[in-house]
Amino acid sequence: MIVDTSLFTRWVKFSPSILITLLIMPVVAGLLGVILPAFGWLPALGEDTVDLRGFEALFATPGFVKMLALSFSTSFVSTFFAVLLSILILGNYFNSKLLGHIQTLLGPILVIPHAAAAIAIGFLIAPSGLIMRLFSPWLSGAELPPDILLPNDPYGFSIILGLTLKELPFILLMAMAAMQQKEIKQAIEGQYKVALSLGYHPFTSFCKAVLPMLYPFIRLPIYAILAYSSASIEIPLILGPNTPPTLAVAIMQWFNDVDLHLRIQASAGALVQIMLTLCVLFTWWLLEQCVKRVCLSSLINGRRTYADVTWKFLTHCITLVVLFAIVLALIGLVLWSFAGYWSFPKAYPDQLVTQHWQSALQQLPETISDTILVALAATGVALFLALFTLEAEQQRRTQLSSFTSLMIYLPLLVPSIAFLFGIVWVKEIIGINAVFSMVVVGHLLFVMPYVFLSLATSYRKLDLRYAKVAASLGRSPWSVFYSVKLPQLMPPILFSSALGLAISFSQYLPTLLLGGGRINTLTTEAVAIASGASRRISAVYVILQILLPAFGFILAWLIPKLFFRPRY
Amino acid sequence: MDPANNMLSIQNLCIYKNESRLFTLDTNVLAGEILTIMGPSGSGKSTLLSWLSGMLDPAFTAEGKLLLGGQDISQTASHLRRIALLFQDPLLFNHLTVAGNIEFGMQASQSSSKKQRISKALASVDLSGMETRAPKSLSGGQQARVALLRVLLNEPRVILLDEPFSKLDSQLRQATRELVFEQIRQRGLTAILVTHDQSDADAAAGKVINLSNPRST
Repeated sequence: MIVDTSLFTRWVKFSPSILITLLIMPVVAGLLGVILPAFGWLPALGEDTVDLRGFEALFATPGFVKMLALSFSTSFVSTFFAVLLSILILGNYFNSKLLGHIQTLLGPILVIPHAAAAIAIGFLIAPSGLIMRLFSPWLSGAELPPDILLPNDPYGFSIILGLTLKELPFILLMAMAAMQQKEIKQAIEGQYKVALSLGYHPFTSFCKAVLPMLYPFIRLPIYAILAYSSASIEIPLILGPNTPPTLAVAIMQWFNDVDLHLRIQASAGALVQIMLTLCVLFTWWLLEQCVKRVCLSSLINGRRTYADVTWKFLTHCITLVVLFAIVLALIGLVLWSFAGYWSFPKAYPDQLVTQHWQSALQQLPETISDTILVALAATGVALFLALFTLEAEQQRRTQLSSFTSLMIYLPLLVPSIAFLFGIVWVKEIIGINAVFSMVVVGHLLFVMPYVFLSLATSYRKLDLRYAKVAASLGRSPWSVFYSVKLPQLMPPILFSSALGLAISFSQYLPTLLLGGGRINTLTTEAVAIASGASRRISAVYVILQILLPAFGFILAWLIPKLFFRPRY
Repeated sequence: MDPANNMLSIQNLCIYKNESRLFTLDTNVLAGEILTIMGPSGSGKSTLLSWLSGMLDPAFTAEGKLLLGGQDISQTASHLRRIALLFQDPLLFNHLTVAGNIEFGMQASQSSSKKQRISKALASVDLSGMETRAPKSLSGGQQARVALLRVLLNEPRVILLDEPFSKLDSQLRQATRELVFEQIRQRGLTAILVTHDQSDADAAAGKVINLSNPRST
């Protein structure tokens, strides 16, 4: 075997190790930085004995069980609804053009940051929100906003609504991505036709013939959603109750409390959060086993229909309601951002003004530039490492080991609340003071998996014969990479960049904790404003939060059309 | 259902793709008869089967009537037509056993009688004792036979065969073909076979229509 020793080849060779180290080290250090304080060891505060005080204080916290129940129920129920709705939509619009249209409409929701989505939904369902205004007074009879605790209801219905609306497009798009893979597409379309020709009604055909084959492909995304939603911060913080909040929100509040001794309790809480997430995942697994056991016999019971017409009607209604809610939320945001005086129950503001935009834009240039700089840095590093790691894979002619692949997704699987605080603690011990770099590293942990995932498929599909032809013409490995592979990959690289930027724009906790208040992004500002200040200013922030990633995706779509189109 | 009622009439069928005419067809198929459709790739053989089964791709449009036993089923949804499809791939469900796949095709009835019928059917195609096997563990020929049983025990009125033997080797092809045709004739089913292979057409011993030159021979 001929060994190439150029600088490029050496860099490529070490890239997978660098990537894994960059992802594992902060997570492991962060977890250690939580485990030790959880057992009472926090020398910075003069606590150097190991005991269970943190857990005792945690269990004695008023409403602790309610926190656990809220975290568990909201994540489980929202995922259940999102999966159910996805199945209804996929099943009833299978093989129909409508599915593509729904994908186009719901796709952009994915890039809206969770915080922005939560604020928009809060505006929509509030007693003085757009829904109430549209139905008042002619239907509700209300001349004044009704006295209902929405959002922030004690049972977490608002959280469930927010999480479901954010999770639904993700599951749908994951399922559709799987269904568009050539081999799977052929198999499921063929089996669907077989079931139809054997007399099964369309939705029943989907459930009995397609779903058992499709589910394994959406299983991991579902588990990722469960893990994320059980420990999410933004949506429960904005839409959830505070008496008590979800466990993750409570942990964040304890960590940020002026009483530093609460950090011991918070660290214990972070460990309980990991257990809670595992518990949610285990319960979902149990549900899967039950459904499998119960449904296996009904697959072959010969029944050709299970009220298909009713399900179809229900799906039409639900899809319309979801799309209507999304459109209404977006309209509401625009109206609020320009609203002057807006009396209830009018559905349209009494006057439109631009002063909220003017005042926000006066305050925001630094925040927007920080947001973009952090995102560009994190995405740039992620892109560089992902491309070099994938190139290493091709040079070695073997795919990454399953351990390495799993490690790339580690930051998405471990609840961020459980290790980010540990990173802060470790950072304080080591005495790192580079705020910008720390925030970039924090963002990189979450940007990296998405950039890698979105690039990997295209990179692995590259026709290697082009590279071989170039090499046979005397081109070096770097030249082949730079002038043969990268140009072919330009559209996926731009899409991954846009995705990376969008993920970075949406980060709340890493910015808040690792920035220590010295770096603010649009998302941290939007969350801070959402908790009290003007609804109108909040709307401006949310619109900017949506526009920024949208701008990235528009660029990713435009650049190949403008600069890489074939010339005749 | 009286097999004599299974006569299929394709009346003045005209299939268009992007507004240009792909082919026209007007023919009858009697119960127990196997009509063979031949023609080069792209001539519309599989499109014809899609139209007959009510699953025409939206890229195509069709004019004409389809009568089954004298009843117009042109606008009937595919799952209500009782026209079953047998593809070149067996398309067995991997989440079900061999018996489960066959049972999937059967109408709802007593579970015990179903089991007996499945065992008997499997025995008739030399697959005794394979009930609990996973479809993937079977050979290509065995999978083809299970797919056939799944269709036959569904008791359709018409069976559409979309090159069902093309992926089998020559020896297996002949044996499977004989089995399929024998079962179709025994049950008095109306069948339409799409094939590239003249030997399939010869074995079907029925009317042959060439879609590049659509007139019956």
